[in-house]
Amino acid sequence: MPNSSSIGTMTVFDIVVIGSGPAGTTTARYAAEKGLSVLMVDKKQELGAPIQCSGAVSFNALDNAGVFPSPEFIQEAIYGFAIYNGQGQKKVIDYRKIKPGEYGSEAGAKPLGFVVDRRRFDRYLATQAERAGVTIWLKTEALGYRVLDDGSCEVALKKFNDTITVKAKVVVGADGVQSQVGKWAGIKTHIKLSELASCLQFVVDGVQTEGLLEIVTGHEWAPGGYAWIFPKGHGYAEIGLGVTRTMCTDNAQAYLDKFLKQSFFKERFKNCRILEIQGGGVPLAAPLKIQHADNLILVGDAARHVNSITGGGIHTALSSGKIAGNFLAALLLSGEPCTKENLKGYHDNWLNAMGNNMWKLYEVKRKIFDTADIAQRDEQLYATMSNYFSVDSEYKKI
Amino acid sequence: MMSTKDPVVFEVEWNACIKCGACVAVCPQEAGFTSSFDTIAVNKACDIACMFCQTVCPVNAITHQTLLSTETTIF
Repeated sequence: MPNSSSIGTMTVFDIVVIGSGPAGTTTARYAAEKGLSVLMVDKKQELGAPIQCSGAVSFNALDNAGVFPSPEFIQEAIYGFAIYNGQGQKKVIDYRKIKPGEYGSEAGAKPLGFVVDRRRFDRYLATQAERAGVTIWLKTEALGYRVLDDGSCEVALKKFNDTITVKAKVVVGADGVQSQVGKWAGIKTHIKLSELASCLQFVVDGVQTEGLLEIVTGHEWAPGGYAWIFPKGHGYAEIGLGVTRTMCTDNAQAYLDKFLKQSFFKERFKNCRILEIQGGGVPLAAPLKIQHADNLILVGDAARHVNSITGGGIHTALSSGKIAGNFLAALLLSGEPCTKENLKGYHDNWLNAMGNNMWKLYEVKRKIFDTADIAQRDEQLYATMSNYFSVDSEYKKI
Repeated sequence: MMSTKDPVVFEVEWNACIKCGACVAVCPQEAGFTSSFDTIAVNKACDIACMFCQTVCPVNAITHQTLLSTETTIF
């Protein structure tokens, strides 16, 4: 196992990853598996909490990132989608019916995806990273970084009450939607108010689901976003929505209350009991044009690696983490310095593997949301969502 | 008359805050304009006063007090 070394009293790692979500843990794991010494820090005391996510992820996304779909974190298997327009008209895309035998709960068939428990999912990913040799420090806040003359950098950390400086070749900012790490290097990481979905969800009892991710479009219920009903396992469900605040007359809480009490699902929600409250900011934004600086790269939400049509970010975090981990391993093992110029290769790899597609999705999203006429916009969003999840979707080619 | 350009100090109703990070995500301030509880800063003045953080909050946990601009502040 690769371990840290010391120069005088200074601890030295190849990589310091800041943030222990799916992007950070995956970057750390792939880099450590190639033999690099990796420190992953997080200011939190618990992995995956507070939950800022509905937890939907596809089977393929886990598979591509070497994550076994373990019962440890799966709350419910998903087999398809039901997309609704604002009036309740729906398009059901149930892969159990479209591809029987391939997708289903019977032997030999597989789920299309899962709703995961982010507390257990993130802990599972961290355990994978730890077993690959990553050193994990929780209750450790990253305060800043400084590029050194020898081509490396030092990172100031506060671990419990102690201020520590660690030396590294590269820092990975995986610190989420509220990222500060990019700002250290002068990268403008803040998200436009018109491109951040303000999301709120309730975990509820007393609402039936059928193994489908249900998505409700329509300006009346969720302007600049959508509402959702996701199965949560053990008879629970998630009911939530995301709204673009510049397209709203009120906050997400008011819209969720209205969706529960006034929508075409009000009868279905009649016996709903709220068990938990969760919220998040989801960037429905262009990916960052610059995701690297001297001795620094950004991954996951911090680089806005989010699908701006669906708002999904687990898949994109896992994929970009794998790209980042593999790239950094190759660069560092080659002995080349982590200059901004050399780290551009990470951005190029990311663009080729997924980034160019994410830019296209963003253009589709922007075209829909820029449509001034509400009825037309609603129609476009319903059609695009229905298309996106269908078996012969044009977006699968993107 | 107060202008939106006057600096403001934000207050967070900690009981209402759901720790979603949206306020920090839209904040154009430099790194570190945050509280110990992962919200925008509450213990210092914001001279941008764009109010994006207050607007984006899903649960209206953020309010603010406007400070008098330095020109009109009497020390």
